[in-house]
Amino acid sequence: MSRFFQAEVSGNIHLSQTHNILKLAPLQPHVRPAAGQFYLLRASETLDPLLRRPFSILRWDDMHLEFLVRLKGRGTLLLRNMRPGDSIDMLGPLGNGYPEPLKDETPILVAGGVGIASVFPLIGSVHAGTRLFYGAVNSTELYLLDDIKKLTGHIYISTDDGSMGFKGNAVERLIESLNDLAIANPAVYACGPEGMIAALLKFLNERGIPGYISFEEKMACGIGACLGCVIKTGQGYKRVCKEGPVFDVREIVC
Amino acid sequence: MNLSVNIGKLGLKNPVMTASGTFGYGEEYAEFVDLGSLGAIVVKGLSLLPREGNPPPRIVETPAGMLNAIGLQNIGVESFIKEKLPFLRRFNVPVIANFFGDSVDEYVGAAERLSDVQGIDGLEMNISCPNKQAGWLVFGTDPEVTSEVVSAVRKVTDLPLIVKLSPNVTDIALMARVAEDAGADAVSLINTVSGMAIDIKTRRPKLANITGGLSGPAIKPIGIRMVWDVFRAVSIPIIGSGGIMDGGDAIEYMLAGAAAVAVGTANFVNPTATMDILSGIKDYMTTNGIQDISTIKGGLIWEREDL
Repeated sequence: MSRFFQAEVSGNIHLSQTHNILKLAPLQPHVRPAAGQFYLLRASETLDPLLRRPFSILRWDDMHLEFLVRLKGRGTLLLRNMRPGDSIDMLGPLGNGYPEPLKDETPILVAGGVGIASVFPLIGSVHAGTRLFYGAVNSTELYLLDDIKKLTGHIYISTDDGSMGFKGNAVERLIESLNDLAIANPAVYACGPEGMIAALLKFLNERGIPGYISFEEKMACGIGACLGCVIKTGQGYKRVCKEGPVFDVREIVC
Repeated sequence: MNLSVNIGKLGLKNPVMTASGTFGYGEEYAEFVDLGSLGAIVVKGLSLLPREGNPPPRIVETPAGMLNAIGLQNIGVESFIKEKLPFLRRFNVPVIANFFGDSVDEYVGAAERLSDVQGIDGLEMNISCPNKQAGWLVFGTDPEVTSEVVSAVRKVTDLPLIVKLSPNVTDIALMARVAEDAGADAVSLINTVSGMAIDIKTRRPKLANITGGLSGPAIKPIGIRMVWDVFRAVSIPIIGSGGIMDGGDAIEYMLAGAAAVAVGTANFVNPTATMDILSGIKDYMTTNGIQDISTIKGGLIWEREDL
């Protein structure tokens, strides 16, 4: 089985003007992913845009792989405009994924914006008591809520503008409610924008709470060769595509 | 069909090599490419001591290309010899160690150590990476300094010595002649083209290093032109690189005068690019009735009577 394979678009659901879910059916035997891993997708045979785009695996079964795509530029526009039957070539699954929680730990998932795609496979699958703190800019950018509610009742919504749930981001919501929830041995699994992650790192370090964060960096090869996607850790630069994208918060140099 | 080519005394089974910095230490691509099918593997640039490289962001995509400012992060010569070379020796493929230094002494030290060990078939001197701090670029842009550093390395190694040239010069043919006169067995060109990108929202450079090296299809015409310039100026073999994405691009470089090609950024876009390019070269030979790939070197028809 190869991690480099062709797939056919089997569905493309436009959730909003900026987000879509791309459902892909691999045409060749492929390696099954794990939560937190990612794929590089190439939407075009042309040389511009040149590089593949990385996406966390959102959901999968034996026949399909699904990705949440946020429109950012020309590459994601091509992915947004794909139609069922179109072909795409893929590289993945890549990276390390999230570690299994320890037996006595209660996972707390923290997702900001499109970061929900990364933690989504953990919802309802790792621990009955798993909590999800999910934040977005406003209520219209909270996606997959119906699917999430089918998987867990422990969901805490926040929006920057207060249009749904708590007014503020997912980390602020977490900080405010952690004491009230009286969660035994929390372990945080998170993915989100830079500011949210910085605040989360600070909080986890101050409280000594274990955590695993999925990082996003510009990358080219996705397999550890180009050294383009590094982040600073206590042991020097590490590759987001290879040693990550998920890092233990104790490794990260703020 | 004969695909073999010679780079000085180094024989390659075919002309498709990897470009330094784009193929890691080989193992990263072993799952996608039969490494033994390559003409040669040129590994990521090595310095005597490990280097941390530049802070991120290190890469940015540009139209039909990418800028990088990795900053020559590498594990150092000793770790390469101990940890990476044994893996590469499992394959029937020449290994070319790319190396660099901050001083003539560091170049010489790295070349000496790499020449000491079994399993390295050639050396490629990088005198041309644009991502180092000010002062370093002079190795690849000042003819006198180029001559000094290449001569010094030539004295300490019997391995085939390839000098990788910078495109960031006024006269690349002159630099190639200097390298040839100083004892280089071959030249490779081009390295990346110095470039820059700015985020207009933040007004900040997109790379932490501010400037970086442009690679990919965007620089192919520059590479072709420079290979053509150098082909007419030197008698040593040329390894052509810069934006080679398919077999046709490789043929274009060879028609301009390259004896072999090095595939770089294409590996990032398509992990099997080297094999696809090799297959494209074979297709071209079949279609055009070419028995021996080396016969097309410099085969550009440039006296155009129809003009």
